[in-house]
Amino acid sequence: MTAPSEEFRCEFADREDLIAYLKAQFPEAAARDDRVSPIRGGRRAADAAMKRLDPVDYAASRNYLSGTVTRLSPYLRYGVVGMAELRDAILHRAGRKGVATKLLNELGWRDYFQRRYAQIGNGVWQDQGRLGTGYAPDEYGEELPEDIATGTTGLACIDAFSVQLRTIGYLHNHARLWLAAYLVHWRRVRWQTGARWFLGHLLDGDPASNNLNWQWVAGALGHRPYVFTRENLEQYIEGAYCAGCPLYGRCPFEGSHADHAARLFRPEPGLPTGGAR
Amino acid sequence: MTGDGLLRPVVWVHGDCLDPGGPALAVHPGAPALWVWDDALLEHWGIGLKRIVFITECLLELPVAIRRGVVPTGVIAFAREHGADHVVTTDSPSPRFRAIVAAVETEFPVVVLPVPPFLPYAGPIDLSRFGAYWDVAKRHVFGQPPLF
Ligand SMILES: Cc1cc2nc3c(=O)[nH]c(=O)nc-3n(C[C@H](O)[C@H](O)[C@H](O)COP(=O)(O)OP(=O)(O)OC[C@H]3O[C@@H](n4cnc5c(N)ncnc54)[C@H](O)[C@@H]3O)c2cc1C
Repeated sequence: MTAPSEEFRCEFADREDLIAYLKAQFPEAAARDDRVSPIRGGRRAADAAMKRLDPVDYAASRNYLSGTVTRLSPYLRYGVVGMAELRDAILHRAGRKGVATKLLNELGWRDYFQRRYAQIGNGVWQDQGRLGTGYAPDEYGEELPEDIATGTTGLACIDAFSVQLRTIGYLHNHARLWLAAYLVHWRRVRWQTGARWFLGHLLDGDPASNNLNWQWVAGALGHRPYVFTRENLEQYIEGAYCAGCPLYGRCPFEGSHADHAARLFRPEPGLPTGGAR
Repeated sequence: MTGDGLLRPVVWVHGDCLDPGGPALAVHPGAPALWVWDDALLEHWGIGLKRIVFITECLLELPVAIRRGVVPTGVIAFAREHGADHVVTTDSPSPRFRAIVAAVETEFPVVVLPVPPFLPYAGPIDLSRFGAYWDVAKRHVFGQPPLF
């Protein structure tokens, strides 16, 4: 037997002890960002989230920021919970096929993107189709704007999402869609820049679900690009941001989908834009 | 490959299989198991401390040794230290996973165990759009035989 190479410690007094140790072991990562999420890793934490599964409430409320979403994505990402296991748990909890359908359909997105990833590999970093915005890829900026990165745009919603991404490492699906659409369409930055930013922070960050969702927002999956309106956002945030926003009533999200499409995209016949999926 | 005739495995645990009851660990409960922090990948993806803490909390519930460096080199060294005759791992769609398996295979046979699939269906499926995928998926996801 040859001598073992240096091993990491596996016993810690508490979470603080673990965090201090990892900071010292990974100084470069800590220099990039040394915040730690309140969301815990591990199967025990995943089991607790599994116990809260509620397919009925899920179907009714998943689009709302306060909705009963599973928050299982970080555990699914690392295979702490398996897709087949979760499918069975959902079917068991739901009792009836119809009740389970919405949640299984969303999980289907993960399975779908994983299958595409298996086909295209690092192609997840390249547009899978022509951008449906009328702009060429090189007409988009490369850099992540400083005010988005630091949450200082002045837009209460966008700034809150930026802070949540960086402090918690988790965002509700709708918040991801809005933040991504703002960066790609309103600021005209390459979706790859946003995808890299998310991957550094999201606990569930994975190149399949992350990049292909960014492509979906950007309109690179042969789908119309995703834009939203303030009305649309206000409905699902249930008053959380708009009321206290200094830009209320004159923010860039005011107007209809058609207004935004006309303002943000180059006219292309036959490519109307739409709302939430 | 299947692993017939191979007796002394080590398990390589990677970022798509951190379930204590997952395929590789369940099939070889007593075998030495290893996680290697992929330093190049952390750098490449700009990973911060949040994700490292989360992953470590997952690893602390697994019977694994934790090391760092170049992944295939680390896996090969670990297999040698334990006098193993093959490496067992769990499948992943990631191209980096396939490259690591290919590199380890230059020194040891690698058995890749399948993950129980979301869809109990192995037939053709159109991935050009989610809608086309779901038309097929919804007939299998409930675990019943397809109607047509
Ligand atoms: C720009 C952008 C980036 C994203 N990046 C990621 C990512 O890196 N990793 C990731 O897992 N998800 C990603 N998503 C998808 C989705 O936002 C998250 O999976 C979801 O918000 C996680 O919360 P949840 O577990 O409570 O989801 P739930 O609504 O409870 O859904 C259950 C599970 O279904 C899967 N799922 C649901 N919606 C989607 C979707 N649109 N695409 C893929 N899987 C889905 C997830 O595994 C999720 O855990 C991204 C979405 C957008 C718009």
